[in-house]
Amino acid sequence: MKVLFRFILVLVALISSSVAWGQVSFTVDAPALTALGQPFRVEFSVDAEPERDSFKAPSFEGFEVLAGPSVSTGHSIQFVNGKQSSSYNCSYTFVLLPSESGTYTIGSASIKVDGKSYTTKPLPIEVIAEKGGAGSTERTTEQRPESRIAKDDILLKLLVSETEVYKGESIRAWLVLYTRVNIDSIESLDMPSFDGFWSQELTFDNTPSREQVNGRVYEAYKIKELLLSPQQSGKIVIPATTMSLLAQVVVEDKRHFDPIFGGRQIYHVQRELKTQPITINVKEFPAGAPASFNGAVGSFRLTSRMPQSEIESNTADQMEITITGSGNLKFIAPPTLSLPESFEKYDTKVVDNVKLAASGASGSITYTYPFVARSAGEFHIDPVLFSYFDPATGQYHTLATEAATITVTDDGTSVAAPVVGGYAGFGGTMRQLDRDIRYIHTDKLPRRAAEMMVLTPLYWLVVVAIVASFVVAYVLLRKRIRDNRNVVARRMKRADKVAVQRLRMAQRSMEGGNRHAFYEEMLRAMWGYISDKFNIPVSNLTKETIREVLYRRGVAADVAEQFCEIISRSEEAQYAPSTEGDMGEVYAFAAEVISKIEDVVKR
Amino acid sequence: MRYIVKILTLVVVAMLPVVGSAADGRTTAEACWKEGIAAYEAGEYGRAVESFERIAELGEVSADLYYNLANAYFKLGQQHTPGESRPFADGELGRAVLNYHRALRLNPAMEDARYNLDIAVDYTNDTEAVPENFVVTLWRSLRDMTTSNGWVVVSLVALALTLALVMLYLLAERSVLRKVGFFAAILLVVVVVMSVALAISSRTAVEGDDRGVVVYNATTTVHASPNSASKRIREPMQGVTVRLLRERGDWTEIVFKDGEKGWIRTSHVEKI
Repeated sequence: MKVLFRFILVLVALISSSVAWGQVSFTVDAPALTALGQPFRVEFSVDAEPERDSFKAPSFEGFEVLAGPSVSTGHSIQFVNGKQSSSYNCSYTFVLLPSESGTYTIGSASIKVDGKSYTTKPLPIEVIAEKGGAGSTERTTEQRPESRIAKDDILLKLLVSETEVYKGESIRAWLVLYTRVNIDSIESLDMPSFDGFWSQELTFDNTPSREQVNGRVYEAYKIKELLLSPQQSGKIVIPATTMSLLAQVVVEDKRHFDPIFGGRQIYHVQRELKTQPITINVKEFPAGAPASFNGAVGSFRLTSRMPQSEIESNTADQMEITITGSGNLKFIAPPTLSLPESFEKYDTKVVDNVKLAASGASGSITYTYPFVARSAGEFHIDPVLFSYFDPATGQYHTLATEAATITVTDDGTSVAAPVVGGYAGFGGTMRQLDRDIRYIHTDKLPRRAAEMMVLTPLYWLVVVAIVASFVVAYVLLRKRIRDNRNVVARRMKRADKVAVQRLRMAQRSMEGGNRHAFYEEMLRAMWGYISDKFNIPVSNLTKETIREVLYRRGVAADVAEQFCEIISRSEEAQYAPSTEGDMGEVYAFAAEVISKIEDVVKR
Repeated sequence: MRYIVKILTLVVVAMLPVVGSAADGRTTAEACWKEGIAAYEAGEYGRAVESFERIAELGEVSADLYYNLANAYFKLGQQHTPGESRPFADGELGRAVLNYHRALRLNPAMEDARYNLDIAVDYTNDTEAVPENFVVTLWRSLRDMTTSNGWVVVSLVALALTLALVMLYLLAERSVLRKVGFFAAILLVVVVVMSVALAISSRTAVEGDDRGVVVYNATTTVHASPNSASKRIREPMQGVTVRLLRERGDWTEIVFKDGEKGWIRTSHVEKI
């Protein structure tokens, strides 16, 4: 057991030491860019103790070795939270002077640590011939420290990744300080407000680098990095950034030569720097945008989580739409989801998970649309459309969720559903959803609009025709009425004469002994008399009407009764075979009754 | 006799092309009408506008035609691509308002046109009219219940009835009928006079219609005098209804609904 434990311990020690070997790094550090005539340092460093004299420097072809190798070693032991850690560092430094312009490679150096050899990677170094010779270092005769720094020794630049963009597309802007002298401190920095842009600061790697500007080599310090997203189209000008800083100038003073400090004096020189304004041309979106386009620019995907296809009424559910991709995610308006009227809608919840990077914003945004179905039924939910503009291809893309059908089953309380918000459920008032012009008329092509008739000759003609036709009608009618009146009067006058004539004819039949003819003539005389006398057609006459007419004309009731009795007797006797009843008696009675009526009716 | 026949034949032959072309125009118009409705239903409002405008060119105008044309213009104007063009970019709103007015002029009782005109006017920045006298408003709303010819028909029917009642009064034997005839006739005489007055009023309103609609696609400027150097009075949008007073060169004097006068470029307004 003890043996095993010891074995494991040794194993662990071995592994940990091997890990330590694995961690040995041997690196070379030198500026990638340098100017002709400017000495620079090349440093090879190893973080473990190397074997003695195992370091082999490469050949510095194209460079003149001014000094080196100077070796420096360092060893430190740290206790952190009771744990001990040690670090070792050994570096070999050379000072090189480029002898010709061009690109040269510093070859691999090698070193041995614990019997194992390590090499550095070859390092290319670009050497350029600067314009204006060696620059400010030549002008040592100048006395005033301010003039020791040439105007182009410190530069401030605002750089942008693009100057032609679409609205909503994002660009990167970074502020860089280029310097050939030491900078003591930055006193003030005045960044413009970036009007017309939505700006966000980015985190960036702030290690200085050497860069070539206008043929000269500078130390470049990145000061700020921003992500800009134009919010309007047209030319937007980013105004100048101003900066004020203190630069260090070292002056070799021969008069005040100090044996210890070598007569060097350090001056601080204040400098005001200003960038050039930059114009960004923000392009409008091309034609043919889909209706659902709402300003989303970039490249996106659309995913959705549909609500359940069957729910009970008065239960809550939600629909989720997620837009994933890179672009102006922060500015995307929630896509419109049109839910049926009886669904109660709540505020859309927006959850974004957007990361900013130098390439722009990317991530996802999730929109949650909660709702409560208030009444039962089968409801169709239209697909939600989301359109975006892809600046890379210059085209619009439209994404859509699936269409869904939701069956809402009745939970038994639908009818008495509580009135919440604008929707009053069954029996409530109807809500005006929207207003639009009414539909076109789709009947047949109507007749051409008529001319206006009023006061035209045709109109007068019609008026005159109407009036004239009535006048004519009036004249005719009046004449007819008058004539009619005359006929009646004459007939009435003639009435008893006719009756007398008929009675005579009846008398003749009586003398001839013709019973049947007698009674027939009698009846005709009686009916005809009443008809003519009172202007009533024979066909309309009955005994009742006769009684009524006579009564109305003031004839005594018994006379009327007698008149009717004669008619009755005549009718009975007409076909009766017996000789009962005297024809002469009937005749005389009739004449008497008619004369009685005449007495009363005569005017 | 033979000459007369010859002359008659000549007249008939001369008339034939006239009658023929009129009938031809009618069939073309009917085809255009069907085409316009189909295009509108398919959402191709540009084609619908073309078809309906063609019918108007053929002279087969009617209230329904102007109504449909106005609808097509309105829908065409709304059909724009966001980002690329504004709504009503080609003066469609002005043309819609113009044609609704034309429809209402032919048929003041067309309720649909009045409703749609209200909606279209909501899109313009038209000013409120000066409130009219109550009697004038009453008279106008009564007049607009039907067309001038409608009132003519009413007046003629009322005239015939009046005459019938006068006859009743003159000829009836019973005194009740004579009384009814007399008073009803007096009442109907009032109706006749009123309806003739309304018919004449309607006709003068149409014939003396001096209104115009701003149809310029963008905002136009109304100046104080007929030159562009003079002071700018207002900037009416398309669809604003004005009264046209007189013309001087390229300029037309107009009055806004609220009484403000000014001069506008003649090509920017169209008479109703």
